[in-house]
Amino acid sequence: MAGISTKEIKNRIRSMESTRQITKAMEMVASSKLRKAQGQVLASRPYFETLYATINEIVDVTKDFSSPYLTGRPVKKTAFVVIAGDRGLAGGYNSNVLKLAMGQLEGKDAVVLPIGKKAVDYFQYHKVPLLTAAYAEAEEMSLGDCFSVAKQLSKQFLKGELDEIYVVYTNFVSVLSQTPSSLRLLPLLRQTTGKEGTKQSDMVYEPDSATVFEAIVPEYVGGVIYGALCESRASEQAARRTAMDSATSNAEEMIDNLSLQFNRARQAAITQEITEIVAGS
Amino acid sequence: MTPFLLKIVTPDGVQFEGKAEELIVRTTQGDLGILAGHINCVAPLGMGMATVVMDGQKRYGACIGGMVSVVGGAVKLVPTTFEWADQIDTARAAASEQRAQEILRNQSSSQTELRLAEARLKRALVRKSVAKYQ
Repeated sequence: MAGISTKEIKNRIRSMESTRQITKAMEMVASSKLRKAQGQVLASRPYFETLYATINEIVDVTKDFSSPYLTGRPVKKTAFVVIAGDRGLAGGYNSNVLKLAMGQLEGKDAVVLPIGKKAVDYFQYHKVPLLTAAYAEAEEMSLGDCFSVAKQLSKQFLKGELDEIYVVYTNFVSVLSQTPSSLRLLPLLRQTTGKEGTKQSDMVYEPDSATVFEAIVPEYVGGVIYGALCESRASEQAARRTAMDSATSNAEEMIDNLSLQFNRARQAAITQEITEIVAGS
Repeated sequence: MTPFLLKIVTPDGVQFEGKAEELIVRTTQGDLGILAGHINCVAPLGMGMATVVMDGQKRYGACIGGMVSVVGGAVKLVPTTFEWADQIDTARAAASEQRAQEILRNQSSSQTELRLAEARLKRALVRKSVAKYQ
């Protein structure tokens, strides 16, 4: 590429340098946010796990199936809570989780409750019916918001407007690996693990099982949504950090190549000048 | 007294994990006391003081929402928020109480606002009363 003038190369180097600066800055922002989000995940995980384990224990032990939360029914309407990010430039983070959600939606009469701006935009664009578009800020969402979402969903489930509720989120495996996954929130079905009969102890409900489930299930749903949200937020920052890290190293590589080219072109120009001078004398 | 395993977990992390001799929590139906060897049981929690007895010492905490479960002798307290008496931010509770009371006094507040303010007031009062026990 001897045809490109040194000036043009210089301009390209300059523009690559500013790109590198931006991606480097974004990487650093994502790193510091990741550290915060990681702390949150580690703090909320025991809660998430205990809640999940406790509810499953109760469902396993209980003999009373009068609560509608515990009985599956023919599924007509399915609700999906889909958690994605607010911003792009996070590698495959948003598209992976949205693709998984879209795959699960297929062939179902479904409504979606998107959390995060990217999820809201995506489902609006694909004309999927939304329950509400009020949660367009995944980063700002608090525990209280999760509980109000849970309360609303549980109410609709009890009324029979929804027959199944899933949450689709991104699991934070490690800083380098995040996997999109989905989890059924309601109904709570007994996991037939074959140990039935061994756990025949009676459960005392205070005051009675219907009231207990009515009070506990929305709490459970809210807690699980909050846990999923924490996982997703940490995943987003981790994905963005990785993406920006590779963008920075790509920019560096390009700058190296361009400087080499620039030096070659400059050297060529000097050599040519010398040849001309020598030839002229 | 015989100790049992007690675990207190909130969304902010594990607050306590270890042996306790007695646990008293405020459920929606009133106070519930749990000793070792309690029958399997679940109850939703209300807002109130939780008392944990360990090594004969009493410790108090403000415990709001969630549930308590006993399965196979292990007790799990899974509240929405839980603070030991010495961790309570009394200034924040007082400010929260004042704000809630302003909303409640305000004639133009909507129904949902009133309901939220009422819950906030209750939480603040629980925190303030528990904070005295430290």
